[in-house]
Amino acid sequence: MEGVGAADALLRSRGRSAELGAWVVGVAFGREGRVCAFGLGDGTVRLAAPGQPAEEWRTVAAHPEGACLALCADAKDGALSGGDDGRLVRVAPDGAAEELARYGRKWVEHVAAHESGVRAAAVGKAVHLLDGAGRPLKSLAHPSSVGGVAFDARGKRVAASHYNGCSLWFVAAREDKPRVLEWKGSHGAIAISPDGAHVVTAMQENALHGWRLADGQHMRMSGYPSKTRSLCFTARGRWLATSGAESVVLWPFFGGGPMGKAPTELAGGDGVPCTAVACHPQQEVVAAGFADGLVVIAEVASGRVVPVAAPGRGPVSALAWNAAGTALAFGTETGFAGLVDLSKR
Amino acid sequence: MSETRNAADPRAQIPVTVLTGYLGAGKTTLLNRILTENHGRKFAVVINEFGELGVDNDLVVDADEEVFEMNNGCICCTVRGDLIRIIGGLMKRRGRFDGIIVETTGLADPAPVAQTFFADEDVRRATKLDAIVTVVDAKHLPARLADSPEAEEQIAFADIVVLNKMDLVTPEEAAEVERRIRAINPWAEIRRATRADVPIESVIGRDAFSLERILEREPEFLAGENEHEHDSDVVSLSFEVERPIDPERFNAWITQLLATRGQDLLRTKGILHYQGEDRRFAFQAVHMLADGDFVGPWREGEPRRSRIVFIGRDLNRPVLRRGFEACQVDDPQAAGNEVARRGPDRA
Repeated sequence: MEGVGAADALLRSRGRSAELGAWVVGVAFGREGRVCAFGLGDGTVRLAAPGQPAEEWRTVAAHPEGACLALCADAKDGALSGGDDGRLVRVAPDGAAEELARYGRKWVEHVAAHESGVRAAAVGKAVHLLDGAGRPLKSLAHPSSVGGVAFDARGKRVAASHYNGCSLWFVAAREDKPRVLEWKGSHGAIAISPDGAHVVTAMQENALHGWRLADGQHMRMSGYPSKTRSLCFTARGRWLATSGAESVVLWPFFGGGPMGKAPTELAGGDGVPCTAVACHPQQEVVAAGFADGLVVIAEVASGRVVPVAAPGRGPVSALAWNAAGTALAFGTETGFAGLVDLSKR
Repeated sequence: MSETRNAADPRAQIPVTVLTGYLGAGKTTLLNRILTENHGRKFAVVINEFGELGVDNDLVVDADEEVFEMNNGCICCTVRGDLIRIIGGLMKRRGRFDGIIVETTGLADPAPVAQTFFADEDVRRATKLDAIVTVVDAKHLPARLADSPEAEEQIAFADIVVLNKMDLVTPEEAAEVERRIRAINPWAEIRRATRADVPIESVIGRDAFSLERILEREPEFLAGENEHEHDSDVVSLSFEVERPIDPERFNAWITQLLATRGQDLLRTKGILHYQGEDRRFAFQAVHMLADGDFVGPWREGEPRRSRIVFIGRDLNRPVLRRGFEACQVDDPQAAGNEVARRGPDRA
């Protein structure tokens, strides 16, 4: 058990943790920097104050009759939560919950927001876009249920994955006609590279599929022992970090890659699947969570791994950095959550 | 890192009951009966959008029945994508219900639902298929069997058939409709009912897909049925062999068989006596998705015979029988004779 204690050093000395009692579905720091929000399977959103470990975490009844299914940072501040009660709810930094939209009995399964003020909620086959004031902008229809949604870095385009590919829409288009990127199968988690040149999805068949938008070139990234649930590009887009293997698998998106290139693997060797990844907002550093609850930070260039939280608290299901890259938050399927201050002292 | 790392998830799998049946057979009546009876259990109910009647339950999820093909080179390997997502979502609020009931549309092919529980790792980890319950209308089943392949498939896939609306048929009609059901699926348990009034325990908590329970029920093949001309496309065949099975031969045979004939083989179940093994090997497949494991020792005095049952279309009895028979280890008797016959030649 000595190893476990050492792995918890950062959490103990520079963090705060709690047993929240329900599946941690998502975690996000408000863009204003004052709040860290955990979305839970019991329908609540818990708010922690980064940098103020003494302050009590607050509980917001975001989905009183249901479960939170997705959570992200809202456009300006606070967090955006989608629930199985059909509601899209904004949680302000002060803890006030505001219903932005209600979609009947359908689930709000995926949410995304961009600092320019636009928000997206995936409900069944539709992606609803809302403006900064919460007014509906448009509803984008897809041929089948949406498995993931993401904005590009500038907030100009939104991508939605579904069966047999994904659709790329211009947020401000007068006439909504998507560019459909086709590939047979069921597509889930989705990411757009920071330079807007590539779209990548995670598939049902333990593989990723990517498209180079300039020429439609397909990219197949396979070899995962389990499904990839989490994927993100590093800050400058050189690497795509992914979960689903017994290490953090990073695909090179430079020097002609990822076609014909082998991925880099970090923090492997324990035979435990990686379940969540989050890329540092500025540096080539990746945080990763594993199926046994271990949370680490790894530097891509050196391969150096620093443990943040010890194993033993359930599969890591949520992981996020704050915008400054000075704090990391995580949560697990069994309801353990942590917030660690990583700023220079 | 330390040796204390362990990814095993000790939490129990949530049982899932799949409710199928043709439009008007009484599926929703059975569903409401299960939900309203005072059994102290809470269910999450997944219904299709075109349900016949309202469902009275706290947790009801609308499903779209989105079926897609897995990219694993098998055209029959279709799964319910919506179910994968719904179960994923329901797991986030686990602890608030004891089981899941999935109602399918009347025209649904049950295979994609069943295959979802074999093919998706997350669904497998979180849930277990408890039973496929098919509700049929005793009066109208013969007509349905004549005009819709789905009605046959729903019976072929069933662990339990609720033979409903018994008040509308004569004893002769009832006997005939049971004969038709048996001819398609000899191991399904038939429960006669009026207004779907079956005991809840007969349809919930059956664990019918557990390998331990395979062939626990003797398939009820009707006497002489094997020689009959079949009055439906879907038939069942059962084979039994005496000598132990050679695992390598069986694997090679069944893999090839499921790969080439998986589309026509709806369900396959087997209990095998592997050579030199004191435990029984249980095997099951839904189309070409298979699952098998050792399920404990042979019982005292139980004859160690291997048996396999197929339910499917266009099944070639002699070919399947010869294939299964060839999976046995070589007959020592025959081998002995061979040596004896050769003996004098060598001398």
